[in-house]
Amino acid sequence: MATKTKQERNDGPVNEPDYLSINNGKPRWERIKGWLFTLDHKRIGLMYLFGILGALIVGGVFALLVRTELFFPGKTIVDQDTYNKFFTLHGAVMVFLVIIPGIPAALGNIIMPIQLGAPDVAFPRLNLMSFYLWCIGALMLVITIPFGGLDTGWTLYTPYSLKSATPVLIATSGVFVLGFSSIFTGLNFLVTIHKFRPQGMGWFQMPLNIWAIYATAIMQVLATPVLGITVLLLSVERFAHIGIFDPTMGGDPVLFQHFFWFYSHPAVYIMIIPGMGVISELISTFARKPLFGYRFVAYSSVSLALLSFLVWGHHMFVSGQSRLANMVFSALTFSVGIPSAIKVFNWVATLYKGDIRLKTPMLYALSFLLLFTIGGLTGLFLGILSVDVHLHDTYFVVAHFHYVMMGSTLVAFLGALHYWWPKFTGRMYPEQLGKLCSMGVFFGFNLTFLPQFVMGSRGMPRRYWDYDPQYTIFHQLSTIGAFVLGISLFVTVVYLFASFKIGKRAPRNPWGGSSLEWQAPTPPPLYNFEKPPILHELYNYDDLVEVEEDVWERRAPIEAEPEPVPGDAHAHARPESTPAKPVDEATALPGMSEQITEPKAATAVEPPDSTEAETKPERSPIFGKPEDDK
Amino acid sequence: MTAEQAHEAHGDDHGHGHGDASPFIQHHYDDAQHQFDSGKFGIWLFLAQEVLFFSALFVAYILYRYNHPEIYSYAHKYLDVKMGAINTAVLIFSSLTAAWAVRCAQLNQRKGLILCIVVTLGCACTFLVVKYFEYTHKVHEHILFGQYFDPCVSSGGNELLTKNNECPGSKSTIEWDYPTAKPIEGCMSELGIDTDPREEGIQADCVVFEAMGAKQKDKDGKEEWVEKSRKPIPNRCVEEVFGAEELDPNLPKSAEQPAKEAFPCWKPAIQPAVCKDGWFFAWHCDGVVCKAASGGEGPYASLNKCQEAKTAKTGALKGEGTAWVSECTSGHGAGILVEYGDHAERGETIRIKAECKGPQPPAEVGDLAIDKQTDIVLGQKSIKPKHQLTTHEAHEREAAGPPPEHTNMFFTIYFAMTGLHGVHVLFGVFVFIWLLIRSIKGHFTPDYFGPVDFAALYWHIVDLIWIFLFPLLYLIH
Repeated sequence: MATKTKQERNDGPVNEPDYLSINNGKPRWERIKGWLFTLDHKRIGLMYLFGILGALIVGGVFALLVRTELFFPGKTIVDQDTYNKFFTLHGAVMVFLVIIPGIPAALGNIIMPIQLGAPDVAFPRLNLMSFYLWCIGALMLVITIPFGGLDTGWTLYTPYSLKSATPVLIATSGVFVLGFSSIFTGLNFLVTIHKFRPQGMGWFQMPLNIWAIYATAIMQVLATPVLGITVLLLSVERFAHIGIFDPTMGGDPVLFQHFFWFYSHPAVYIMIIPGMGVISELISTFARKPLFGYRFVAYSSVSLALLSFLVWGHHMFVSGQSRLANMVFSALTFSVGIPSAIKVFNWVATLYKGDIRLKTPMLYALSFLLLFTIGGLTGLFLGILSVDVHLHDTYFVVAHFHYVMMGSTLVAFLGALHYWWPKFTGRMYPEQLGKLCSMGVFFGFNLTFLPQFVMGSRGMPRRYWDYDPQYTIFHQLSTIGAFVLGISLFVTVVYLFASFKIGKRAPRNPWGGSSLEWQAPTPPPLYNFEKPPILHELYNYDDLVEVEEDVWERRAPIEAEPEPVPGDAHAHARPESTPAKPVDEATALPGMSEQITEPKAATAVEPPDSTEAETKPERSPIFGKPEDDK
Repeated sequence: MTAEQAHEAHGDDHGHGHGDASPFIQHHYDDAQHQFDSGKFGIWLFLAQEVLFFSALFVAYILYRYNHPEIYSYAHKYLDVKMGAINTAVLIFSSLTAAWAVRCAQLNQRKGLILCIVVTLGCACTFLVVKYFEYTHKVHEHILFGQYFDPCVSSGGNELLTKNNECPGSKSTIEWDYPTAKPIEGCMSELGIDTDPREEGIQADCVVFEAMGAKQKDKDGKEEWVEKSRKPIPNRCVEEVFGAEELDPNLPKSAEQPAKEAFPCWKPAIQPAVCKDGWFFAWHCDGVVCKAASGGEGPYASLNKCQEAKTAKTGALKGEGTAWVSECTSGHGAGILVEYGDHAERGETIRIKAECKGPQPPAEVGDLAIDKQTDIVLGQKSIKPKHQLTTHEAHEREAAGPPPEHTNMFFTIYFAMTGLHGVHVLFGVFVFIWLLIRSIKGHFTPDYFGPVDFAALYWHIVDLIWIFLFPLLYLIH
């Protein structure tokens, strides 16, 4: 491996255009078609990203409207019915359009195949279809606004959703379509992760982000169909009155709650687990240390995914479940705390004695740690049966799930967005502004939701338009916080978009990340890599050197090593043969890594030659057109 | 499981497929094998998703069956086991041909492949046609879901009163042509029996009998007919032929005037009379013209008040041979007597009476009165158990009566499950048409037959779901 020249480093692919400029020079219609009918996962992911950021703004505006209305007791800006629509649309848009597809569909689509060293996802056409399903679903949800809004709450509980005069049918059909978008994305990712890992990347050489996306995809494939059938039944109920959830016809409205939460509880993990995956990457990269307890973090993602199927009943402690069911669900709920805590402790342990660099993504990652801890621990309060009776449907619950869904997932999403932004746009965002906004998000968020814990525990019910004067101060603090948060997010979205045009060009590896995406050109070409990436030991930063501000390169000992023998390549990549070197203070400092004289075990995997690829059943890491192999 | 193991597990399914001979190998895959494996794993995940998609309906089925077993034991008799069995056989056979299609594709037998796909398609269409007949029959009989569940017959095949009386042949929106004494539309069954309840959900329960008695003077010196004994006359014709001259002179002398032949015998009325809130209706006396004291006449006649009916007793009916309402104590649970015969001449010793239970109290709002009815007389098939019923008899009896409350839920689930399954079959039809076109074009080779394999797998799960649905819906006890 020759040292990369400066020109190569700062530019994208050498021999072909990058994926953004693939149709440059063609007529405008061709260029538009190049986006609309693209099968490239990065383009699809980028379109997702724009859609999701648009939905984030819509949902955010509704959130601010809700908070403004609650600034004073009684009527502030809108009446009760309109207020109901505001919080419903805020919830529905944020959950179904932003948080659920946010990390997996948008960033996952862009980054996951590159991180895996794959040329694309397994089923590119299915991927495009998922995106269009998302668009259709989003359109159906948003179109309820001119049709009079939706006032059922995002949970669409029966029997009210059967009686509501608002266009529930359109919304539920939209959710149905969105569900299938999510299922197909998950299916696609599962197949990609199973079948497109390069030779030498076993399960435990996968970056934790991939593990998290894998766990998420399991839930997307196995939980979302239940939501699909539920909202399908609800839709049919709305227009054909089949009676399955309608008590006047002998149906059971609580059955809807069971079905709904059987999906929507795993959905909470669909939201949070990809966030956790991202955080694992960020913390390891910016602490310049291998992730502590890699296997535990990987397993905990999967066990969270599996446990998430067993706890839906904790949303219904006061819905007339049997006492036994309540106890079982309560106990299972506590068990969720174990894998969550494993992750948090491992992240903290990774930070310990790390060479921490407070870049914007890292600030978001640290925010995540705090906010997720608060959100997770308050969840334990709600899992206690007796306490839940008091706290159910209060602002305590609102604060709790916002800490998890927003404080954790959205913050992780923003962290991931900043982290990978240079890679897929080829531009750097303004670092100082980024840091400022991340702090705005952190403090604005806490100002919004900490008071809600207090007023919730004092009995302020959620979804109320009016309140007693004793809660005024909390509501006002919360509203002020919401505006700080809203402005920070808005500025973030603006500077990110602006950096598309005016940002300075990004190098191949601005953060010193060790996973495969940082070997790809910036921005990557159509099939991501010009030459097969080399698998290095995961989360080992010893060889990575910051050659100048925000430009990292891999140095020795690979240069010194002779070309590895292809036949041995497989064995070399296994961590058993090259156990992760414990990182001490000295090696943790990247600048000093050059001084390490002791030669390291070869960690590179060279692609086997083509004759071998033909005889071996395993996938070779060669992609691109077959003739490129030699 | 490492990737390699996973790969091998899938790779052994067929023993060929290296090299990129087929033009359908997308070039982000390494080779045909890689593409096939990815597709296979994808389709298995899709099938897992399908199972979960149906699972909610199965859960709903279990839940409602656990809570209301009576609904299921009653309602499944509406379903035609023969049709279900045919469909089961058809689907199982088509699964075989689908699997065979895969083999043909693997062996590069193009004709066999096309034949197998055509047969599979044919089976799928047969399934849908049978389903179509089942559904249309149910629509016709109002055996539907939710509020549209309003069956014309009980699951045992007996006619039922319906909530909205929308069954063909027994409309409540009956209009009578009084001069001809014929209904203009609706509401006469084949026997000429008006099964119209007039009032929603009201149905009298009558036992008809011959009463023997004589006039006696009581202590005040008033004459009163005292009944001495009675003899029920179920399903028996009383030979009572009237001469034409005895017909009601008030009835119009049209061609439709009930003629001598119209009264070959007397049968107990199905619904001789009903009392409700002081209002009184007598609308059917089988083969006999009912006459009302105060109201009009004709096969359908109404008396305004029970009280009036009583009064009327003395004034009318000489020599008419009309069914005759003699008594009615009004209010719920009142008894009504329908007398038949000529008081002056025969009434001294024998009177034919029907003793009816009064109607049930008005049902609560939201409940169906029809569902509340417990003791049933329908047509002449009044089923009065005289001994401990065997299970079979109990089922028979159950099936003869009106459906238990919320039987609609069974059909909600029935239509949801079979409907969703039907949509899957329909989707399968499109998939197989697509495969047919491609196989005619010769796209499939031993290197590239993934689509056939995946469609066959999909078809197997559709088949499998039906194999669960058939016993769960059609064959329960």
